[in-house]
Amino acid sequence: MADPFKPRAPFAPWDRRQLPGMFDVEETARRVGNYKWAEMKLFEALGGWIATVPELDVKMRLGTHCYHHAWHAELWHKRLPELREMNPDRLTLPANDAMVEFVAALTEPEAPETTIEKLVGVYRVFIPHFISAYTFHMNNTSEITDAPTIRTLKLALQDEFDDWRDGEMMLQSLIETPEEVDRAAAHHAKLEKLMLAAGGIAGPGSIGNLPAVKGN
Amino acid sequence: MTATVEPSEFKFVSFDADLIASIADGLVDVLGIDRPVHVIVDEATPLARTRTEIGDTITIRVESGAFEDARQPRHQSELSTAATLARALLRARDRISGGFGEAPADDDLDLRQIAAWEVYCVGRMERLGVPVNPQRWKYNFRNRHGFNDIADAAFERIWAADGLSWGELEAVSTAGATA
Amino acid sequence: MRKFFPVDSLARDSRFNQITMSQSQADPRSPLMAADTDKRPKANRLQPSRPDASDAARSLMHGIFVGEIQALEGAGRTCHDFETGTEAPFALKLDMARQAWDEARHVEISVKLSEWMGSEIGQYAENTVLFEAACSTDPVLRLAGVNRALEGLAIDVFTTMKEFGGIAGDPYLEFCEDWMLADEVTHVKMGSDWLRRITENDPDRRKKALEFQSVVDKIFSFGGTRSDSQESPIGLARRFRELAGFTDAEVEDIADVSLRALEERKEFTRQAQADAVEQFAAS
Ligand SMILES: [Fe+2]
Ligand SMILES: [Fe+2]
Repeated sequence: MADPFKPRAPFAPWDRRQLPGMFDVEETARRVGNYKWAEMKLFEALGGWIATVPELDVKMRLGTHCYHHAWHAELWHKRLPELREMNPDRLTLPANDAMVEFVAALTEPEAPETTIEKLVGVYRVFIPHFISAYTFHMNNTSEITDAPTIRTLKLALQDEFDDWRDGEMMLQSLIETPEEVDRAAAHHAKLEKLMLAAGGIAGPGSIGNLPAVKGN
Repeated sequence: MTATVEPSEFKFVSFDADLIASIADGLVDVLGIDRPVHVIVDEATPLARTRTEIGDTITIRVESGAFEDARQPRHQSELSTAATLARALLRARDRISGGFGEAPADDDLDLRQIAAWEVYCVGRMERLGVPVNPQRWKYNFRNRHGFNDIADAAFERIWAADGLSWGELEAVSTAGATA
Repeated sequence: MRKFFPVDSLARDSRFNQITMSQSQADPRSPLMAADTDKRPKANRLQPSRPDASDAARSLMHGIFVGEIQALEGAGRTCHDFETGTEAPFALKLDMARQAWDEARHVEISVKLSEWMGSEIGQYAENTVLFEAACSTDPVLRLAGVNRALEGLAIDVFTTMKEFGGIAGDPYLEFCEDWMLADEVTHVKMGSDWLRRITENDPDRRKKALEFQSVVDKIFSFGGTRSDSQESPIGLARRFRELAGFTDAEVEDIADVSLRALEERKEFTRQAQADAVEQFAAS
């Protein structure tokens, strides 16, 4: 057996985590507050829509997904005090007014004939933007100092990917005519423009700012 | 021969006595029933039990739930009416046309025997073109025989059978009952 | 999407036919009035020994199925209808989201069980009474009506069905009801806990909520469908109710209310049948 008292490197050769990260505590708390606000709006919308969609399979999926996003909101809520924000409500905020506008437009459809619009908003716009913001955050924060945020991001991302796939499959099965393709695309474009104005789930910089490259 | 229905008008449900009679007439023809049929509906209860008395006339006593459209309470379902009367008439025909002489009187049948005889009737109904849901009858059969492969095999044999005698039906059912 | 969704707008596909509580209560017929004979003892309790047990169980399972859909919708609406913080605590809404997931699973389970029992989606009318209890604009009243009265009824129904499956030897039915029962006990506990917490310093609001619950409990006794009497298809699940946080006195109250509902239903049926006969004679 190997000598248990032999000195070993604290970081094993396969552990390549790096100390530097793009976000300080304050910026992390700000982003987390935006995530929590957006996840809350998402689970509330999904919950409200359950009664409004006639498609039984969609109804059940919305109920399941509603909880996923409530749980993400809860995880972010619990992370805030760990980021020196002792009053989590203070930072539970939309990234900006455009984000509020986006959520208002997202939750506008109610009629039973508008399941396509409801699903497009969630699964083709909102959730893809969660995926991108979370991925950016996960890949750019300190892998050592901010490990708890990374863990939550990974848990949330797993749900986001699974839910996105569910939603996309429901949409593909609901869209049966070229007119419905147009309907989905028009609603998608409308919401995507609002999201563009908001700059993403955490506002401008949600997925970083690409450095300008000088031409020759 | 025209079936008769009692009451001729309904107070608690929206049933149509003429419709009941015409469905019964159609079944009498298809099944080759040799005597008049009289249907008495008890509209005071939503339960769905039936009792059949065989004399010179076949009298079928039906609780209103047996003819009802479960989607629209108090309204009649042609399908349920046909299915209920077909089961009752097939049982009556079994008794009249022989082979079922030693079958106990309706009141003396136990729940397993009733379930087996129902399956025998409904299997034949399906082949006559009456829409049925086999799983419904399999579930009832399992409740009375057991939830296992032996009971299921007995169900399949009875469902597919024609021309069984009471003794044969009872033998398959008893062998299939492990509950 | 508006706040507070009316019961008559619940979205369903074409297989479903919805009826309201008042429509179903207007039916002058009642199984309670079936003749009592030696062969046919006057017990409507859902047990395999009932000659029509399979059909009665199928019909009840469909009732559970649509009830789960409405419970899912109700829990979802509570996530949406109330502003976080000012109208309902964040943690309460998280509980409701969790409940929505649970109810979605219950719908899935009920669909599978209905198939297993040989019925089809929409084969029976859907009574929308359960969602009606979820329409209160006060979250505390809604929790009292939904989590304590409706979910309490679910405990009674699942206990009856679990016993039914056990006696009949139906492995799926007993297994599934056991799981759903565990969830419903959790939901009732949520309701009891929130009711206590939110109304801690507001005895008037608590009193109002408990009164509302009692009204809903009576409606859910469905004119005698659920009570201690063997004349009721569904019994009162005392042990599981205790687990869910009902006090002995509360269980006794529900027992009284449901027995009264049973007697009132019999009286109503007698009267309604007499009226129908009179009307018929006059016409
Ligand atoms: Fe449930
Ligand atoms: Fe529940």
